[in-house]
Amino acid sequence: MSDNLQLWLLFVAVGLGTFLIRLSFIQFHGSAESLIARSKHILMLLPPAILAALCIPAIVFTRPLTDYQPDYYQWAAALVAILVARFSRSVFWPVVGGMICLWLLRYFTG
Amino acid sequence: MKDDRKQFWLGVRDLLPLGSGVLPFGLIVGATGGSLGMSPEMVLGMSALFFAGSAQLAAYSLIQDNAPFVIIVATAIVVNLRFAIYSATFAPLLGPLPKRYRFTLAYMLSDQTYGLCSMPAQMQKTTPERIWYLAGVTLALYVTWLISVTLGIVLGAGIPAHWSLEFTIPLAFLAMLITTITSRLLFMVAVISGCCAIAFQLLPFNSGFIVAVAAGVLGGLLLPSWLKRKGSHE
Repeated sequence: MSDNLQLWLLFVAVGLGTFLIRLSFIQFHGSAESLIARSKHILMLLPPAILAALCIPAIVFTRPLTDYQPDYYQWAAALVAILVARFSRSVFWPVVGGMICLWLLRYFTG
Repeated sequence: MKDDRKQFWLGVRDLLPLGSGVLPFGLIVGATGGSLGMSPEMVLGMSALFFAGSAQLAAYSLIQDNAPFVIIVATAIVVNLRFAIYSATFAPLLGPLPKRYRFTLAYMLSDQTYGLCSMPAQMQKTTPERIWYLAGVTLALYVTWLISVTLGIVLGAGIPAHWSLEFTIPLAFLAMLITTITSRLLFMVAVISGCCAIAFQLLPFNSGFIVAVAAGVLGGLLLPSWLKRKGSHE
């Protein structure tokens, strides 16, 4: 999945799919309102499920995935990010806090 | 007509303060894209085509894991499902427009557009005024986003590999996760999904992600009634 042409195809495919989602209800204006009302509950559950599945394994274990070594520095960095995220609603500051924690831990332990 | 145009620039102006939130996110997206070994024009092209930062970060981590094409597309689309809500919100406004405006504005729908254009103050405007305002917000965001990503690519190029810049991807998702958890049920959904993602990460073709998301949503649907039944037995 690193061949450049394949990556461009991937970008176009995702761009098109995302466009179709964005267009969906605008295009079928007037005929699909009941569907969204019914699926609203599932759409509300999706974000935490997706985000947790995306970040938890990558935080608990080192990459590449074949190693499967738990990385305690990454755990500490994640804890700092969680603490910062509770005070700031932006994405930026938790990331900065977590990375600084990771860099400091690595710097002081060599 | 002239007053309607004024709404366009009002939309641009209202978007600018939100730029302070968009800029850092764009910096992360631009810088991590470079750290994965993608060329600047690929990262920019990807940003222009996706126009969805979180889906782009999700795609990054799967590209890094050598996940197959179909899984990456499916994941990015699941991450972008929230746009369906925005589409429904603006359907009465944008649905009747001619195709070229309808498609262009739909392509650039975003969290920020939704936030600004669905505010109660907007509802008191006339329909043409609202459309021009939405066009102003949307276009200004698109330009801001691409500028931020470009800056990220430029700045990120100077950061050495042993700084593990790619770890910003899971951290960014973690920060987003914390802000989406607004109830105990959503916390449980995240716990179920996170545990399943670890348990199933060895499944072939990175399909563990989809399994984990499905388990989390299923848990969110079944837990409330299950807990209620258990409570009534006691």
